[in-house]
Amino acid sequence: MKKIFFSFVMSFVAPMLFSQSYKPVQVNFKPMFGSQELVLNDSVYTFNLKDSVYIETLKFYISGIELLCKNKMVWKENNSYHLINLSEENTLHLMLQVPKNIHFEHIKFYLGIDSGMNTSGAQGGDLDPTKGMFWTWQSGYINFKLEGKSNACATRKHEFMLHLGGYLYPYNTIQTIVLPMPAKTSAIIVIDIKTFLSAIDLSKQHHIMSPGNNAFLLSQIVAKSFSPWIAPSKK
Amino acid sequence: MDSTFQKISIIFFLLVLLTAFVWVEETAFKIPDNWPKPKYDFTKNPLSENKIELGRILFYDPILSKDSSISCSSCHLQYTAFTHMDHALSHGIGDSMGTRNAPALMNLAWHSNFMWDGAINHLDVQSLAPISHPDEMGENIVSVVYKLNRNKKYRHLFAASYHLSSITGEQVLKSISQFMLTLVSSHSKYDSVMRKQSLFTNQEKNGYALFQKNCSSCHTEPLFSNFQFVNNGLALDPDLRDYGRMKISGDAKDSLKFKIPSLRNIEFSSPYMHDGRFKTLNQVLNHYTKGIQKNNTLAKELETPIILSANEKVDLIAFLITLTDRQFLFNPAYGFPK
Repeated sequence: MKKIFFSFVMSFVAPMLFSQSYKPVQVNFKPMFGSQELVLNDSVYTFNLKDSVYIETLKFYISGIELLCKNKMVWKENNSYHLINLSEENTLHLMLQVPKNIHFEHIKFYLGIDSGMNTSGAQGGDLDPTKGMFWTWQSGYINFKLEGKSNACATRKHEFMLHLGGYLYPYNTIQTIVLPMPAKTSAIIVIDIKTFLSAIDLSKQHHIMSPGNNAFLLSQIVAKSFSPWIAPSKK
Repeated sequence: MDSTFQKISIIFFLLVLLTAFVWVEETAFKIPDNWPKPKYDFTKNPLSENKIELGRILFYDPILSKDSSISCSSCHLQYTAFTHMDHALSHGIGDSMGTRNAPALMNLAWHSNFMWDGAINHLDVQSLAPISHPDEMGENIVSVVYKLNRNKKYRHLFAASYHLSSITGEQVLKSISQFMLTLVSSHSKYDSVMRKQSLFTNQEKNGYALFQKNCSSCHTEPLFSNFQFVNNGLALDPDLRDYGRMKISGDAKDSLKFKIPSLRNIEFSSPYMHDGRFKTLNQVLNHYTKGIQKNNTLAKELETPIILSANEKVDLIAFLITLTDRQFLFNPAYGFPK
């Protein structure tokens, strides 16, 4: 009953609140392979001079989005959990509702899911286990998933599967990322898979599907593959 | 004027009706007297009769398995405290065999992790493991949700409980949790003695004293487990090579450690141990008195041997049988849905 009353009141109050002081801020994720746009099940990309790769899956969680001014949090998104899935274009674009009067310089977010949410049972929305990002045999979210084929992998069909997750010390894989956000209404954030693959040894690390030291180390490397988009200069 | 009054009174009446409906929908979880607070957070999944019943229907429905041959109840039978009598290791689709003994299901609201090695960290996500395991149901939650959404009966049942147009993984898992949470065993003879409603026989009393002296540091009352992981001195099975908790923690200190099971309804939950190696309670007691394998992860409680005479073993077993809860084993609310 309380809920009904609350939503009844909010249906009047909420539009007034929002229309007055909020503005949409768009955060767009742009998966790249070096200077090329990353397309699934399409191109063969080359790296390390001799290696080539074909990407079939790229999915990762972004959570706990905050805006910072002079390194202090000035706004944070409530219940902030987003699954970014390259095979679903709409998931690459997040819309934040930020109060108009807020001034910010940086965006901060986690790559992955915090330990509290890892141990809170079944969730809905982007965290629903049907999203294929929850380990069934040992509870916990997969924070980052990259699958494909590469000549560097001496595996069946040259396949590799990197499922990075784990929330328990000392192998907690969640990563904090802070990036400058100069534009006030939108940001484009690049995740460069070439940077990531060039920094690991795909011939040895081709199947990571459980928490542990490998997942922990690779997660730190993935985090370094995020950067603000800089448009190529036109000459 | 009259008609306005009429309208207002109709709206008022409807509101009252709605309030009653909202109240009826939530069912309180009853904590037995003198029991600790449950670990399960009921505020995140408030019990309702509809959802409990829905969970029960799912628990007994083989639709959860890949070939519709196995339901939860295939390995978790009510009359054996929701374990699989006579089966040391769990079974799955296509006559496949698992590597561990299906655990008894009871008083799950008091557990903070699940499985013999604690691999599962919350009751809600427990069902994902048997649903997905190739040697159990061999299915996956995406396909289960797809099948349920195509099923008219389930569409109605879920809509009545969750008031949404389509079924989600979260709803499926939380519904199964709801049913499992109601599986509370707290009406054994032991419980009635503790509530001063009946008395132990002399033999049971003697057995209880022996239990408190030798067993209760790990099989703590009133749940008869402290739910820790310990090495209870079982020799490693050379075929299964199951090191238990170590596989999850990656820590050699956890080698051969398994979760301490509750002893409630132990009379009916044979076979015993994580691999079901013992068929009788006598074998279990013989293990603790003369079968302990010493190694560096052995529980310190078992370092000095437990000594029990033949008569004492009989008394101890007489006490263990007072943990049988017939009200639980034969409660129609837990049985196959009508």
